[in-house]
Amino acid sequence: MSTTNERLHWSFLRVRVIAGNTFREAVRMKLFLAMTILAIGTLASSFLFQEFNFGSSELKFIADFGFGGMTVFGSALAVIVTAQLFYGEIEHRTALTLLAKPIYRSEFVLGKFLGAWATVACFLGMVTICLVFALWGRETSIMAEYPDQFESGRSVHYVAVIGFSAIQALRIGILCSIVVLFSTYASSSLFAMVMGVLIWIVGQLQHIATEAWTAGDSWLLKGVYAVASFALPNFHLFDVGDQLALGENLPGAIYGKLGLYALLYVSFYLAVAGASFNRREL
Amino acid sequence: MTPAIAIKDLIKDFRIPGSDARLRAVDGLNLTIEREAIYGLLGPNGSGKSTTIKVLLGLLKASAGNCELFGTSSENASARIRVGYLPEAPYFQRFLTGRELLEYFGCLSGLKRAGANDRIDELLERVGLEDAGDRRVGSYSKGMLQRIGLAQALIADPDLLILDEPTAGVDPIGAADIASLITGLKAEGKTVLLCSHLLSQVEAICDRVAIMSRGRLLCEGTVASLTENTGKDSIRVDGLSKDGREAVETLANEQGGTVSAPSRSLEDLFLELARNTEDPL
Repeated sequence: MSTTNERLHWSFLRVRVIAGNTFREAVRMKLFLAMTILAIGTLASSFLFQEFNFGSSELKFIADFGFGGMTVFGSALAVIVTAQLFYGEIEHRTALTLLAKPIYRSEFVLGKFLGAWATVACFLGMVTICLVFALWGRETSIMAEYPDQFESGRSVHYVAVIGFSAIQALRIGILCSIVVLFSTYASSSLFAMVMGVLIWIVGQLQHIATEAWTAGDSWLLKGVYAVASFALPNFHLFDVGDQLALGENLPGAIYGKLGLYALLYVSFYLAVAGASFNRREL
Repeated sequence: MTPAIAIKDLIKDFRIPGSDARLRAVDGLNLTIEREAIYGLLGPNGSGKSTTIKVLLGLLKASAGNCELFGTSSENASARIRVGYLPEAPYFQRFLTGRELLEYFGCLSGLKRAGANDRIDELLERVGLEDAGDRRVGSYSKGMLQRIGLAQALIADPDLLILDEPTAGVDPIGAADIASLITGLKAEGKTVLLCSHLLSQVEAICDRVAIMSRGRLLCEGTVASLTENTGKDSIRVDGLSKDGREAVETLANEQGGTVSAPSRSLEDLFLELARNTEDPL
């Protein structure tokens, strides 16, 4: 028996263990499989419309379907899976055994976030691979059919397609951190999900608040809009599909700026989530 | 040497939702549990046992007073390094197999990867789940959940085990096996805090016992001192002849006593019959 008391140090190893287990739980959920099949099904359905489009416009149509599937199903997966994976531990009382181990609650919060984010990133990765294959296959057949339209080479910028997926991963990372925050003090997983969806909608429209903040006359309204603009992320910034769809790529600086933007918001929400969860009684 | 557990003037109030009223679950509890002992914490449902345990493990915050584990405040995560916990009605990650569950909790408890598999095999065998280690926890019976719960509590070889109803839902043979395991833990130098409703088991294995009711400590002491019944004696004589029995009966009657056959509990009878007809688990 040891007689001296050891001091517990904050450990990224424990965060990794919790994240790994969270990811394992998520990929064993039927929801993950269902969402992936739905997104790939949506992408496949774009081929049904190929007779209405010719040449590069059809490829853009396929790309838009893929981007839409990634964004919509990815966001839905982020909200549902994060709430279930985090609040589920409290609801099913598995958190009692887990948090009775020598771990810090902030490790639990970060581990759960990373596990949920990795799950959605995995989803985005699979849809991206399918989208790239779909575009490549269709472009190859169109090139054979209309070689004169592709004299300068392929029209789809495949690195840009992967870039879009990476940018959506950043957007969804912010959304996951918001759902984690609400899960830390929610009394049901439904509450966390509803709040996640609400913030997602508000975040999509946040640029309107920013415009009102700069254009309005009332100091009170300006103040409210200013707080809302800083406290809530502007998800509209991540809508880069039109710029990226075909033949163009974004400057590297945009990736860097969006990455930093996402990092700041994720850090802020997770810090508040950690403080909130520390106060929670189980 | 600092005690394994020291609870001083512990008060825990819960806010009643929708009102300003508060429910006092633990009311001024003082308790010291020395090392290398099996300590029984008894009381009816709602007496504050589980709340006390949750405060000890940092799952709840004390409203007043303080708790220490091996001299470290229970509010500090470091206090849990040397503690293993089996919750009441254990719920575990159903999607994991028993082996994966032990790996998971082992990693979180600081178990080194090298040697982890040997430790897991040893524990699965010790709790009688060696054949069920690769099955998903979701398919386990209630008794098996208690057993895997015990294994996860032991995974990091803790010095203190806090077991909340370890025999709930377990059949009498399984309960006897768990009692034997707990006794073995004491022999290994570990301290066990045991909450149980099986009073016969508590009486048999605990060194000291505390009885709580409505959040308060009613009595505390060694089992012998608490169960001592002054004024009555019991004499056991085996293989008595008919004449001898008559003589003893006469003498007992003269002294105002009686002679009767010793009784055994239903649990004893069940255990005896079941052990004779089944292989041990």
